[in-house]
Amino acid sequence: MEVSSPFGSQTRTRVLVALSLLDQSYARELARLLRVPNSVIQKAVLSLERDGLVSARSVGRTRAVTVNPRYFARRELLVYLGRLAETEERLRSAIAGLRRRPRRSGKRL
Amino acid sequence: MTLTARSSLEVVVEAVGAALERAGIRAVLVGGACAAIYAGGAYMSEDLDLIIQSAPSQRQLDDAMAEIGFTRRASQYFHDKTDFFVEFPRGPLAIGRDVRIEPIRLKIGRGRVLAISPTDSCRDRLAAFYHWGDRQSLDVAVKIALSNRVLMTRIRTWSAGEDALQKFEEFEKELERARRRKGRPRGSNARIRRKR
Repeated sequence: MEVSSPFGSQTRTRVLVALSLLDQSYARELARLLRVPNSVIQKAVLSLERDGLVSARSVGRTRAVTVNPRYFARRELLVYLGRLAETEERLRSAIAGLRRRPRRSGKRL
Repeated sequence: MTLTARSSLEVVVEAVGAALERAGIRAVLVGGACAAIYAGGAYMSEDLDLIIQSAPSQRQLDDAMAEIGFTRRASQYFHDKTDFFVEFPRGPLAIGRDVRIEPIRLKIGRGRVLAISPTDSCRDRLAAFYHWGDRQSLDVAVKIALSNRVLMTRIRTWSAGEDALQKFEEFEKELERARRRKGRPRGSNARIRRKR
């Protein structure tokens, strides 16, 4: 079942849902997970940033995006996104397939 | 008021505040520019952030800003003569989880501008330190607390609500260290002239 778009558009909503599951991500990863073009994700992130819902900062050459830790209703937002995530079976399984833990340099993949 | 390349942050803030007030737009100065004013020049910001608390149309806002020479590009307002630029981030006026923020009327030049208090400006900088580990913001928070009377109990209580008591203690230590360096005992801070 697909989530509705309580945050203005499906992409905005799904970006938020994905970030609530990932803690932190970046446009290319979100684009891959949500199967939408990178430019669409960047536009959604920019508008979410303007609304104060997400924050992005440069880490090397990457813009790391997260649900804004300074957003006044962050806790409540995360609870709501958690509920929405329950309906995003495909997204959750795609995220479950991501390796996020560190891997020692030089170790074979 | 004519802004020039030599206009200081305070002059630009005064001009923007006055223009908005003339247009009947209620806006509160927050963020880096506010922190820079309280830090007394020990920190600089070219970015003026104001949270609007009334409901002007985009046209009214553009007109008010145009009156002092600012034109809008996307969501920011730029001026031909000064490097300072203005942005109106979407509200609410909040610092972390706290939305009960009472702005003060800060005396700047010959006017008064709505702004968050030194305590709230200090909390605002600390929020960046707590949540993003931004040590520059910690440094500015210390400078604000050094030059203004801030309510440490309020900051401590709020920090607990942000799950950041450990970082608050780091702030306290940095503040003590800065006070010792300056040779000023606790509680002897200059008070910024302000009126509620």
